[in-house]
Amino acid sequence: MATGRYVTDLDQGDVLGPLEYTMSKFVVREYCHANELHQDCFQNDVKVAPPTLVHLDKLRLYKHACPAGTGPTARVHYEYDATIHAPIPVGVPLRVKGTVTERYEKRGRQYVIMQIDLNTAQDDKPLITYRDTVILAYKKAD
Amino acid sequence: MSAQLSVGTQFRLPPRLMTRERMRWYVDIQETVQQDTGRIVTQPPTIHDDDAYAKKQGLPGIISDGMVSTNWILSLLVDVFGVDAASKGRLSTKYIAPIYEDGVVIACAQVTSVLDNESGETVYGLDVWCEDGAGKKLTVGTAAVHKRRA
Repeated sequence: MATGRYVTDLDQGDVLGPLEYTMSKFVVREYCHANELHQDCFQNDVKVAPPTLVHLDKLRLYKHACPAGTGPTARVHYEYDATIHAPIPVGVPLRVKGTVTERYEKRGRQYVIMQIDLNTAQDDKPLITYRDTVILAYKKAD
Repeated sequence: MSAQLSVGTQFRLPPRLMTRERMRWYVDIQETVQQDTGRIVTQPPTIHDDDAYAKKQGLPGIISDGMVSTNWILSLLVDVFGVDAASKGRLSTKYIAPIYEDGVVIACAQVTSVLDNESGETVYGLDVWCEDGAGKKLTVGTAAVHKRRA
């Protein structure tokens, strides 16, 4: 188990969370504002969150499972891959869990793949299955 | 509009510059979302908003977070398909080239398949990408949108 310190320590098999939270209208509006998603469904008649917000669940899980922070190097996000099973509802308790499925080296760089499952907390309805790939350092290992 | 979409139909957003401000908006929204206090929260330096920190990490300067590109692609899909683009389906993006400060970014999508299913949905398969002003691809991926039939 490589949780408990830095994000750069994470290894295959590590489980992060689960954590529970409730998506707020403020979060949806401001996230969409920051990303120029100005459509009415995200700014005025807000009932669902954009599925891309699941990416920030990764940071939520990192903060919980890796309290010492990023580690000696900055991560670079490489791939976002989200299957949307159902809309992310606003104002409903949600549960998120991360599982590190792979850690490997390619051309001198360390890659980490984490699967993040976002479900409703009450009835465990799947909302998003997200596969996130990061490179742990831009600089190649010597 | 969706009833007229067929394989090969292409959409694109107008070109945008990946300004320092746009990069910082994404940096600051991350902690803002975590804290959810009704206020904007700033973050410590990152490779997306601090030149010195980015150079220390081996980069020539600040680079955009890939999720900005992904969200611009999502925005294009929502413009075309409405909220259904955020409700059921898939979006997959890979960041194949860094986007530096003031780089031109154009979000694009092209329909690759159209299929009616038994759930009353038309499922659109798409190639999605972001390109620069010269047509060089920066982000590539695929999407599936389940559009409810009227």
